[in-house]
Amino acid sequence: MSQTKSIRVQRYLPEQEPEPFWQNYEVPFDESTSILDALNYIKDELDNTLSYRWSCRMAICGSCGVMVNGIPKLGCKTFLREYGTRVDISALAHFPVERDLVVDMDIFMEHLEAVKPYIIDKSKGRPTGESDTYRQTPAQMARYHQFSNCINCGLCYAACPQFGLNNQFLGPAAITLAQRYNLDNRDKGKRERMAALSEHDGVWSCTFVGFCSTVCPKHVDPAAAVNQGKIEAAKYTLINLLNG
Amino acid sequence: MMKHHIAKDEPLWWALFSAGGICFAMLVPAAILVFGLLMPMGIIPASAFDYESLRGLGLGWPGLIFAGGVIALPAFHALHRIRHSCADLMLGKESVNKVWAYGLASLMSLMAVGVVLVNLF
Repeated sequence: MSQTKSIRVQRYLPEQEPEPFWQNYEVPFDESTSILDALNYIKDELDNTLSYRWSCRMAICGSCGVMVNGIPKLGCKTFLREYGTRVDISALAHFPVERDLVVDMDIFMEHLEAVKPYIIDKSKGRPTGESDTYRQTPAQMARYHQFSNCINCGLCYAACPQFGLNNQFLGPAAITLAQRYNLDNRDKGKRERMAALSEHDGVWSCTFVGFCSTVCPKHVDPAAAVNQGKIEAAKYTLINLLNG
Repeated sequence: MMKHHIAKDEPLWWALFSAGGICFAMLVPAAILVFGLLMPMGIIPASAFDYESLRGLGLGWPGLIFAGGVIALPAFHALHRIRHSCADLMLGKESVNKVWAYGLASLMSLMAVGVVLVNLF
């Protein structure tokens, strides 16, 4: 760890400064030093006032999302070796910043709740008791499996210009999870989700920029889910119109 | 329970956009190939493009498919994209942008398809 890199972190300490400001830190690094490792080094060795979220260090908890040089990244899955002399770390875009790199994700949670991202089955044939389970073939699972890899990190919301302009837009991850459950053969709740998806702030606010799929650290492809959602919303709206 | 306001018009614009996208991908390149490359390069003989034979084609059923697939639907596709780009760039109001975008696409479609229809019937 003989090399060091200068890292600029955007600080926001509302009780000290009304405006965010940039602070430089000199961090030692090698081939395996991630952005999260660098933040942990700053916190442990240089400045214990720095605030940021993290937990698993292995791209599964989805809590260490930050902007690195303006691009949404998971801190644990992004390495200092990938960057040249400029490494600017700031809080995820499009979310209100609470402190330093910690954002308020409430609006994202509201959008997730709105699409009921869980299996809904009120039918008589649903499994009851411990020994009774759903059956699902590998082919049935393959229909939704890619979309179930979402870890709710919020990078796609930081990438989406439409969410940046209008935070009432359901956004990429919520629409992806709606589609994930709509495609699951165990689920019978599609009708309950389609009303929220078929609003203007549902699938129709997407202007197919596609940056959500580019930044997704789990290769979920939210843009594909949104386009599939548009077909479903079109069908739902047409059926609703015909039914009066 | 939350009241949802379903966007009733969006499926129509999106369906026209989607259909236009297919035409853009399949028919527009073919039209460019024939009229923009093969004809000027003389690979298709110029006699195949004389006024009388083109008029016969253009004002018949093939002309109707051409007007719909190469002009009308691609116009809706293009103007839908332009409307969304305006939203991305925060230009104008959504409600107003919809009127001029789809109004212009409708006008272009009516003119293209209308000329053929008037001669067909």
